Amino acid sequence: MARTPRTPAPRKERAPGPRHLDAPRRVGAGARTFTTRPVSIDFASPEHRLTRIDLEIRGIFHGEASYEGRIFFNNPKAGHDTPRDREHGYAASFYIFGHGGCLGDPGHCEVNEDARERYDFRAPHPLTLASKRVTVTDTVRDLARTNKEVTITIVPVITAANDLCDTENVFRCEDMRLVSYN
Amino acid sequence: MADIRMRQGVHNLDASQVAAFRDSYRQMMQINDNRGYQVLAGRHGVPDWYCWHHQQNARVAQNMRLFLPWHRAYLYTWELAMRDRVPGVTLPWWDWTLGPPRQNGLPAIFTQRTGADGQPNPLLGFRINLPQANPRVVRPTRRSPGPPNELPRQADVDDCLSRTEWADFSDALEDIHDQVHGWVSGDMGVIGTAAFDPIFWSHHAMIDRIWWLWQARNGNGNVPTDLLDEVLAPFNLQVRDVLNVHDLGYEYAAAQSVVPIGGTG
Repeated sequence: MARTPRTPAPRKERAPGPRHLDAPRRVGAGARTFTTRPVSIDFASPEHRLTRIDLEIRGIFHGEASYEGRIFFNNPKAGHDTPRDREHGYAASFYIFGHGGCLGDPGHCEVNEDARERYDFRAPHPLTLASKRVTVTDTVRDLARTNKEVTITIVPVITAANDLCDTENVFRCEDMRLVSYN
Repeated sequence: MADIRMRQGVHNLDASQVAAFRDSYRQMMQINDNRGYQVLAGRHGVPDWYCWHHQQNARVAQNMRLFLPWHRAYLYTWELAMRDRVPGVTLPWWDWTLGPPRQNGLPAIFTQRTGADGQPNPLLGFRINLPQANPRVVRPTRRSPGPPNELPRQADVDDCLSRTEWADFSDALEDIHDQVHGWVSGDMGVIGTAAFDPIFWSHHAMIDRIWWLWQARNGNGNVPTDLLDEVLAPFNLQVRDVLNVHDLGYEYAAAQSVVPIGGTG
């Protein structure tokens, strides 16, 4: 389904010399939203028996800002101030507890799990990409009565970010999929 | 069970329990070696980065959900460090589902500037001292809490508890956990500095309590067997060691409130 680049956005150059980092703050609006291409929901039409439908979001980058990801169906214009109700396509939220940017020396936050040696028993890199599973059964079931396809819009609302965090390209994942259970 | 220590809800602590809780943190904050607040809090994010979140995978085929076991080991170690300073004290949980009149957002014992003894309240914040971080972090912790009605509700916890499969439950509870970190915001809002905020520990006691409630219903569910031998670094524990809180010497008080009535005398 929808894909976004795995690699984080290029990091800002650090100013030379000792620096001081202020506490993270609540930013709220400003992050870029992401809308999928139209996705078939034929599988959820009334003739199918289903007990649950999950939106799985895989390969989520979580190295910088923390945010709430608000999930809207068929509302690509949704933003941080869009009411969170069924009328506006809101289904649910997921939450990312971000690292708050790199607080180490150059290379500290580079993940290279694929290049591990066979006998490397160290713990995985803390920035190994994350996954979220959000139950959206009722929303998708309702939409499937009248729609064959839907779009899904993710609106990131930043709950905590500091000067090391990109507050525009906040939501970054490898892919998403809808999974149903009988 | 005689030596089992009983963790209480923050909302149920009496004045002497609050004083003991604060005293343990006050003393830990004055210690700079590995018994103290600075070093122990630094194991979570900056500078040590031992914490486990999400479903990191490396050596085993399935995703390794060590979020709950790792934080249980962390709190266990933390509570023992508290008791080294103030014998008998226990780590209370912050039940963020409670609304007025019992609580409205952050519990008052964490927001008061001073305690009943007139001393600065150590639960209000901590001065992080990490000159070696890049960039350096040497400043007091801060919070920027959201509106109380944006905290998770009991219905969210109930939904979480209704999930019978380990991975499903663990991921759902972790998402609620993430929500509360973001709600408190400030230093609690990011992994790097979260553990330096004194409310971190009581938030995680609530998460640990919910896991224990789930275990009471489901046993250990279908925790993958090859997860059981995983080491919870830097603690001297494996996953199998932390599955039963009684084996770690603690329990969560079942009563939500205690109303003294008195006897006939």
